[in-house]
Amino acid sequence: MSNASPERDGGARERLQRWLPKLVLSPSCVLVLFFVYGFIAWTSYISFSDSGMMPDYTWVGLHQWSRLWTSWTWGIALHNIWVFGLLYIVSCIVLGLILAILLDQRIRAEGVLRTIYLYPMALSFIVTGTAWQWFLNPGLGLEKTMHDLGWQSFSFNWLIDSNMAIYTVVIAAVWQATGFVMAMFLAGLRGIDGEMIKAAQIDGAPAWKIYARIIIPQLRPVFLSAVVVLAHLAIKSFDLIVAMTGGGPGNATAVPATFMYSYAFSRNEMGIAAASAVFMLAVIAALIIPYLYSELREPRS
Amino acid sequence: MSFLHINNVHKRFGETHVLKGIDIAIEQGDFLVLVGPSGCGKSTLLNMIAGLDSISEGELLLDGRCINDVHPSRRDIAMVFQSYALYPSMTVAGNIGFGLEMRKVPRKQRREAVDRVAKLLQIENLLDRKPGQLSGGQRQRVAMGRALVRDPQLFLFDEPLSNLDAKLRVDMRTEIKQLHQRLGTTIVYVTHDQIEAMTLASRIAVMRGGELQQLGTPQAVYDDPNNLFVAGFMGSPSMNLIKARIVEQGGLPVAQVATDDSTLTLPVVRDRDALRDWCDRDVILGLRPEAITDPASANHGEGNIHEAELPVALVEPTGADLYVVTTLGGTHVNARMRPGTPLRSGERTRFAFDVSRMVVFDPDSEQRIRDERTAETTPLEETA
Repeated sequence: MSNASPERDGGARERLQRWLPKLVLSPSCVLVLFFVYGFIAWTSYISFSDSGMMPDYTWVGLHQWSRLWTSWTWGIALHNIWVFGLLYIVSCIVLGLILAILLDQRIRAEGVLRTIYLYPMALSFIVTGTAWQWFLNPGLGLEKTMHDLGWQSFSFNWLIDSNMAIYTVVIAAVWQATGFVMAMFLAGLRGIDGEMIKAAQIDGAPAWKIYARIIIPQLRPVFLSAVVVLAHLAIKSFDLIVAMTGGGPGNATAVPATFMYSYAFSRNEMGIAAASAVFMLAVIAALIIPYLYSELREPRS
Repeated sequence: MSFLHINNVHKRFGETHVLKGIDIAIEQGDFLVLVGPSGCGKSTLLNMIAGLDSISEGELLLDGRCINDVHPSRRDIAMVFQSYALYPSMTVAGNIGFGLEMRKVPRKQRREAVDRVAKLLQIENLLDRKPGQLSGGQRQRVAMGRALVRDPQLFLFDEPLSNLDAKLRVDMRTEIKQLHQRLGTTIVYVTHDQIEAMTLASRIAVMRGGELQQLGTPQAVYDDPNNLFVAGFMGSPSMNLIKARIVEQGGLPVAQVATDDSTLTLPVVRDRDALRDWCDRDVILGLRPEAITDPASANHGEGNIHEAELPVALVEPTGADLYVVTTLGGTHVNARMRPGTPLRSGERTRFAFDVSRMVVFDPDSEQRIRDERTAETTPLEETA
């Protein structure tokens, strides 16, 4: 009996040690389960329900989804996100890579320049959107300044032109994210073996060929990361557009996120809004999950 | 006119003087090894020959042509790097052929040249792989292939074996030597490994602190070191450096060394004239471990053997040899004896000193004390 009790004590302590991490983590697990995955499930259900202004749990099957896909505004939103996303990703990568290559030439004020290029990333999209809205507003910003300076024929009214407004959003978004992409490429460039560049010099390759044939092909993982990061930023882009154009003029700059917001909160079509939200989630998941899978699996191999 | 002439070359990085006037000349077909501890400037010198670093002062002549300001790709050189520096996005064939491609050699000729080199290095079956799929030794071969394919006038090797494991390093060393003998190429090779230097070189340049310490054949550098640094750096186990005093005995200088319990007197054979001036002064004696043996394995034919009975401090068997440690002049001295000699520490045994191989150094300047003109010309004068 006497030598059994310390054993039992040790057993209890061991059991506590085994359960303690689980106990500590369980509240946040429950919260995440409820507020993230729970609401994802709820939204998914709403997209199959007859909800309008208020949730209505009557099952209507794919009714809301067919209404979504026949909606003219949703067509514009999808077209816009394609144009915006493609231009945004390509411009950010091209400009970011060029800036990174220029900064990598062992120039003097590199630290200062790097910070300057990175600063826009520190701003929220609301601030970026508002600032660019002022800057591109024909009555306030660039155009008025040019007129005041005496260049009367100057005209730059893309912000209020429904055919061009989406490009102003691209400009603002590119301005914000290019520095970040540049930093990613710069880190990639710094990781390249200097001896390899020396070898290429001895092999007689001119500088542009060293970049095109040897350095840029090695930055493939950076390209992948940049595309994934920028793509999900593009799909989630909401605040920038709200601040800059409010989706207008008309529906000219509507994207899925603003579409979802306006259908849910101003047009009392919660079912369609839920369907569009689930669709966006699916697109982002299709991008992120393979990426995360490949990134997290890598250390083991 | 020598083939590669490094003429009073200096290198300065701002205030720091990295190379302080290097003079080296080698002939076509020579295998020059630049050896020294890290930071001695050997890699900088190699980069300057390659054209990857500029020359602050002095002149670099290759085959009579000054190449100070010639772009690396037009110097007719090829270089093998320590990290191999293979292009990871290209196949092995692409890597080897890249230099030819940049020189606009037609595809068919390029293919033939790559195949020829691949056959020479026995990497034909790897041509379609990427560098990431190769082992260290295979990468090393590809890096050499990339240098060989262009058939340059001069090959530069920057510590090419230091990333390989010990066994592979020995194999690749043999292969590099065979390749050099077969192709008769001129090579400049940088290493910090003195064994690599001894085995590969036809000429060794020992460097320290941006200065050339000695230039000569491996045997000359080994047997006839210019100063204490070269004596200590070359050879493993390194040369025994023993504090001693020169005194006159019967009209000839002899060296007196303190042992644990008495004094050992060693006759001086080499550089006798110069040492006459050193009577009653302290010096440092240099004796290789293989010049101190047991009497039976001493070289009685050629050497000048002097025997003495000394206490044994320590015995270190290596299998091939038995290193017996005794104390002379206050320091441990390694003697190389036959394996199986039954010895234990604390015993006394007879040591045979081959004094014909003994060299003497000035303890203050650390330079050799040698006759003005001995049969062995000093290697530095040889090239001047």
